[in-house]
Amino acid sequence: MNTMLFFRKQMFIVSVLALLLTPACRRELLDQAPDEQISDATAFDTPDRIEKLRFGLYDALKAPSMYGSRFMVYSDIRGEEFLNEGMQTGNGLQVWNHSLDAFFPEVTEVWTAGYAIINGCNIFIDGIQKNKAVLHNDQLAIQYEAEAKFIRGLTYYCLLTLYARPYPDGNGAKPGLILRLLPEPGSSNKNQSRTTVAAVYDQILEDLDFARDNLPLNRGNDYGNTTLAHRNTAIALKTRVLLTMGRYQDLITEASTIVSATAPFVATGQGVPNALQDDILRVFSSPYTTLENIFSLPNTAADPLYLQRAAASYYNPPPNGLGDYSLNPNGILMDAAFAATDDRRQFVFDNPENNKPYLIKYPTGTPHTDYVPVIRYAEVLLNLSEAHARTAGLSQRAVDLLNAVRGRSNPAGVYALSDFASADALIAAILKERRIELMGEGFRSNDCTRLLLPIPGKGNIATIQPNDTRYIWPIPSNELDTNDFCEQNPGY
Amino acid sequence: MKQLLCLLALAWLSALPALAQRAISGKVTNTDGEALAGVTVISPGQAGGTSTNEAGIYQISVPGDAGVLRFTYTGYQTIELALGTSSEYNPVLQPNTNTLQELVVVGYGTQQKRDITGNIATVNGDDLPDIPAQSFDQLLQGRATGVNVSLPNGVLNNPPVFRIRGINSISLSSYPLIVIDGMPSFTGDISSPLPAFNFTAHNVLSGLNPADIESIDILKDASAAAIYGSRASSGVVLITTKNGHEGSARVNYDAWVGWSQPARLPNMLNAQQYVKIKNEGAHNAGLPDQFFLDSINGQLIDTRWFDHIYRTGFSHNQNLSFSGGGARTKYYISLEYTEQEGIIRKNNFERLGGRFNLSHRFGERFRVGTNMAYSNIENQSTGTGSVPGQSFYWYGMGRLAMTSPPNVGPYLTNGDYNGGWPLGSGKNLQSFIYPNAVALLDRDRFVNQARQLQASVFAELEPWKGLLLKSQYSRMDIGSDDEFYNSPLNDDFGYIYKSLLKNRRWNWQNTAGYDFNIANRHAFNVLAGNEQQYSEVNYFGADRYGAADPFFATFGGNYLGNTVYGQDSRNFLYSWFGRVSYAFDQKYLLTANLRQDEYSAFAPGHRTGTFWGISGGWILSEEAFWEGAVGEWVNYFKLRGSYGEVGNNSVGDYAALSLFGSGIYGDNATFYFSQAGNPNLSWETSKKTDIGFQFGLLNDRLQGEYTWFKSLIDGLLLQAPQPPSLGIPNNAIAANIGSMQNTGHEFGLSGVILQKRMFSWRSTVNLTFMRNEVLELSAGNEDIFGYTADFELANITRVGESAGSIFAIPTQGVNPENGRRIFVKADGTLVQYQHLDDEPWTLVSNGLPTSAPSILTDGRVYGPALPKWFGGWNNVFQYGNLDLNLEFNFAGGNYVYNGSKAGLRDQRWWNNHTDVLDRWSESNTSGSIPRLVYGDNVSNGSALPISENVEKADFLRLRNIMLGYQLPAALLSRAHITGLRIYVNVNNAWLLTSYSGTDPEVSTNGNSNQAPNVDRNTAPMARSYTIGLNLNL
Repeated sequence: MNTMLFFRKQMFIVSVLALLLTPACRRELLDQAPDEQISDATAFDTPDRIEKLRFGLYDALKAPSMYGSRFMVYSDIRGEEFLNEGMQTGNGLQVWNHSLDAFFPEVTEVWTAGYAIINGCNIFIDGIQKNKAVLHNDQLAIQYEAEAKFIRGLTYYCLLTLYARPYPDGNGAKPGLILRLLPEPGSSNKNQSRTTVAAVYDQILEDLDFARDNLPLNRGNDYGNTTLAHRNTAIALKTRVLLTMGRYQDLITEASTIVSATAPFVATGQGVPNALQDDILRVFSSPYTTLENIFSLPNTAADPLYLQRAAASYYNPPPNGLGDYSLNPNGILMDAAFAATDDRRQFVFDNPENNKPYLIKYPTGTPHTDYVPVIRYAEVLLNLSEAHARTAGLSQRAVDLLNAVRGRSNPAGVYALSDFASADALIAAILKERRIELMGEGFRSNDCTRLLLPIPGKGNIATIQPNDTRYIWPIPSNELDTNDFCEQNPGY
Repeated sequence: MKQLLCLLALAWLSALPALAQRAISGKVTNTDGEALAGVTVISPGQAGGTSTNEAGIYQISVPGDAGVLRFTYTGYQTIELALGTSSEYNPVLQPNTNTLQELVVVGYGTQQKRDITGNIATVNGDDLPDIPAQSFDQLLQGRATGVNVSLPNGVLNNPPVFRIRGINSISLSSYPLIVIDGMPSFTGDISSPLPAFNFTAHNVLSGLNPADIESIDILKDASAAAIYGSRASSGVVLITTKNGHEGSARVNYDAWVGWSQPARLPNMLNAQQYVKIKNEGAHNAGLPDQFFLDSINGQLIDTRWFDHIYRTGFSHNQNLSFSGGGARTKYYISLEYTEQEGIIRKNNFERLGGRFNLSHRFGERFRVGTNMAYSNIENQSTGTGSVPGQSFYWYGMGRLAMTSPPNVGPYLTNGDYNGGWPLGSGKNLQSFIYPNAVALLDRDRFVNQARQLQASVFAELEPWKGLLLKSQYSRMDIGSDDEFYNSPLNDDFGYIYKSLLKNRRWNWQNTAGYDFNIANRHAFNVLAGNEQQYSEVNYFGADRYGAADPFFATFGGNYLGNTVYGQDSRNFLYSWFGRVSYAFDQKYLLTANLRQDEYSAFAPGHRTGTFWGISGGWILSEEAFWEGAVGEWVNYFKLRGSYGEVGNNSVGDYAALSLFGSGIYGDNATFYFSQAGNPNLSWETSKKTDIGFQFGLLNDRLQGEYTWFKSLIDGLLLQAPQPPSLGIPNNAIAANIGSMQNTGHEFGLSGVILQKRMFSWRSTVNLTFMRNEVLELSAGNEDIFGYTADFELANITRVGESAGSIFAIPTQGVNPENGRRIFVKADGTLVQYQHLDDEPWTLVSNGLPTSAPSILTDGRVYGPALPKWFGGWNNVFQYGNLDLNLEFNFAGGNYVYNGSKAGLRDQRWWNNHTDVLDRWSESNTSGSIPRLVYGDNVSNGSALPISENVEKADFLRLRNIMLGYQLPAALLSRAHITGLRIYVNVNNAWLLTSYSGTDPEVSTNGNSNQAPNVDRNTAPMARSYTIGLNLNL
């Protein structure tokens, strides 16, 4: 046997094998990118993507812990109108009975959702400034910036109402929020302290002024006028902010652009002619886009609010919701001001299963497709009514504004100026009307705290006094753990 | 080089066949004198060979100058007889106690056990017990040093907690890399990937029939595992499936039937006690009676919900295999069918599987083969609340079995269900918001079906002796579909979800190995190779809600709304690797491994990682000086040590990228910031040191080993927490920060304790002591809290402590003065809690109001959740044809957070454990349970984790007891049966522990590194009884 020949034969086989294997190398597969998300490098590449990023800011407001709709639910169940059913932790039980701790999910999630919206706005504002060339339309760029600032202002305001002492407590001198105005795509600027409450309000007002001056007057259709911000939206929100700050005179000035001097009250000027609807039920039923719905977040079958997160889930008894909260029969329900014939009683459902009343303002079961009402014209009228009552005492205009809201649901219940012995009595009636009109829309907690009033107890849950630690929420523990300069609210 | 070639040529020439032949024959028997059929007989170095016939007789023709005959038979020691002038040799084969000569599977090859310098534990497939188990990993409890396996609960096919030398990561998987016949497998639970829909458990590894396993080799140290580079940090488990042996065909039929029951259920209040306890709480809350004995239609009801939710499950398994082969072709074919019922109603497992392993040799130098397995699996379940992330689901049967009130039942007097969702509360004044477990069990449906194909082909070429070129291409294809259906009859709504998850992978390995020996003293084993692996996961699912009519119970029915889900991801690993083993004089051993991986999940520039391991050994017993000294006693002694660096790359496929996701706002599409990436992301690196020795005493009658190990994991990949005010998605950015260390000692001893003519006792003990310590976390060493189901915080990962340590607020029993639970704040202040008081928290000292304690400021580390010691003790007693196996395992030095106990004492409407009967009252001021106040969810730990619920996890378990009988050969031979063994078996037979819950090994969070050892609303373990037979034809 020829050894050399043998070796050659073997070498041949090895070489053939090696040749077969060589083209099989697939190193190019090392470059992988996701199919469902786009890279940050291309997010601002086209005007179309920028527009979608803009819609993304609005959509962020629908985060479950913000307006999608736990922020509203928490703000309401802190008050006295709701009773917890089933004592289930995780469904706001500790919000309801005021036993929150800094690490509780309710505390961390609202904060986190809020700042995610704020960072989204900051990234967007920065992005459109850097990509003006892509947009090729300076007016549109400014309008987009105005929308982002409106959303940022709204979000800062929401967070203030839960996590900081009310403005009247020391005229905003108490610790407010961490004011983040720069984009944070990564981790560079961890440590930042809380500014004062007043400084946050200043920023909110600055954002809303910018929004008011640069938002379009009209979106051209009902859907756009309800789901996207326009000039009136910014003004309406400003009345809420000024009311919370107790700047009533400024409120009156601001509101004059969107509330006519005499009844029937409508938004005059060139903007959307926002006005009350004749029937409140229309405001809370499809298509949810009346002139009263100044700003609502749309929900559709393709984009609903999720189970256990929607107000509909908390308040409707089964089958439309989980019925975590029934209405307190000893709350506003038993108040003489809330007449049995009042249209708004139609939002109260006596559940035959357990003979308890439930709120059915958001009646649609899963998928929860009722729009989330963020700002209604009725609220603006009540804000303005209160401002007049507080500045001018027994004022006919205050009573007219109050009656506009009250009378459309309870025509027999309208007030005459002479019904009120004092300005305080008038203010009390306005506050009571807010409880009836805005029930379940997230106002109750702030309506107590902005006036430094106690948060009334309910059932066996005690009243929380304004000097109580629990009057406001703690700053979340994960903020304190990671941000060396952030201070906790006293007592927590 | 020239010299080397010369040597090679010499080696080649010396192997050329000589021409003269002689015939040799004889009979092979075992130590009992029984003839052994199918023993392989060869003359080493020569082609061909033969095997013994039924009577143990062989005949072989060997070259005239052949010096030895080698006899090989599975389960027996291989012997080599020196040939003299005789033509008849009748060897007696010894059973295989001498495992040192066994071949051990190492990465991309095999090595003789005695030459191995890395740390490898081997488990023989035949040692795995025949019990109702769904995957082989469940069967590894207590079998090897350094390997800790525990079942998380009695839910079928729930992946076990599997840790090799503790946890080796904090955020990434600590599950070892599982390699089946060279193909790295997917691991984990592959039922629906969305946690909210993941009701059924489906361990990927259940696709492998445990009966097909020949051996399991567990690579523990860096030297052994380094050849797997970036995937080796948590150890590597190499599975080799069975193949045929030369000789006549063998047919095995194994079958068993078994029964499983829930073990150690808690004692619950009966209806009378329930009504009394709850009303007492109501009175203390200022309420009149809320609960009534005659709550349903005036009938007295006393429901033991356990009886409606748990059951005795019946299981059976049938396994048939054929194996055999000749000198050229070898085959193993098996078919298996098993049906298993779990302890929870509607929890079932079914597998139909087959395997086909074949190899064929063409000529002397070329071999091709294939390994192929297919299985069809059905996992049926219910919402057990016992798979990770679901412990607080209202659907959880583990919890419903405990909370459901005994004074109502699942049915009304007319036979209708007593409500669906929620359970009807009858006359009781409090509503039971949880569902009626029986209505759910009867009407709802949760099914996961999976098809798993694993196939590989390989070709081996040995162009000249010692050089082996091998190419293996493997595919793993898994299709797993899920369906769950909530009947509208229960919740007035109706819901169905269906999804398909596809896990697909191809893997191509090309290796060249070369074994050569220079001057008979320098033995080299060299390996080089390339591996490419591409993996793809595709998922889509849809749910349909709002059934148009209760009639619609399938996906195609009519529903009012739909939601769809989809997700795809891919990764690719491209690697080069090599190994050199060198032995000098068979006593000085050295092995070096090197691997370079490139992985697609990391950004360009950070993709390439180099991993390596080096180890050395010295077989002292081969030294001349050994002979005289201790050699008589210690026939084998090896010192070994290794060091190396390996990685963990189990990050998300796109973790390095910053991304924008897309959604919908009303009528419009959106984009939003969805992930803050870190382009500098890289692997975690484990630096592993391992030093030890192995020995054999009295001619290997007793074998043992000791190892000290240390694993320092650097660059731990953590989701570095960011201040939420930055607004970064998930408040975290993945980064390589932090380090952790495992150190420990492993002891193993096995041997024949008694060996008489009829009776023998063999025993194996393994024992591991280890300690985990977190050395560094993200900036500022911020603690990482471990949450159970995103909700209950009872674990902490803190620098200086063991990862995932148990964390709770200290409590000091009940204040005898007023019946309030006493909590201890961080500054030592004692505070007490009274539910519903205006000022619920007061100081014990003076009763003045104070703030509530908080887990963050007042929590204290109670101790490690990871066991500090664990091991197993396995015994085989043999008396004639009877054998008795006793297998124990044990672990301890750690703690469990018994969250279920908080639930069992919760003062909402939930039923309670009978221990609440010892509640504080005016007349029982020494009561161990705080004064009952209806609605109190604080005093017993539902709202805050308390030390009252922290318990020691130490246990000793009689894991398995088996009695078998081998029918006498004489009886069987007439029926042409080679062997028949029958056995009875009790699994989880007995447990010694002070733990008050169902089982200290329960793991609500599965394989979680951050929240281990939590028992929260979890179903108990099973105890099972089986009867079976093994038949060999």
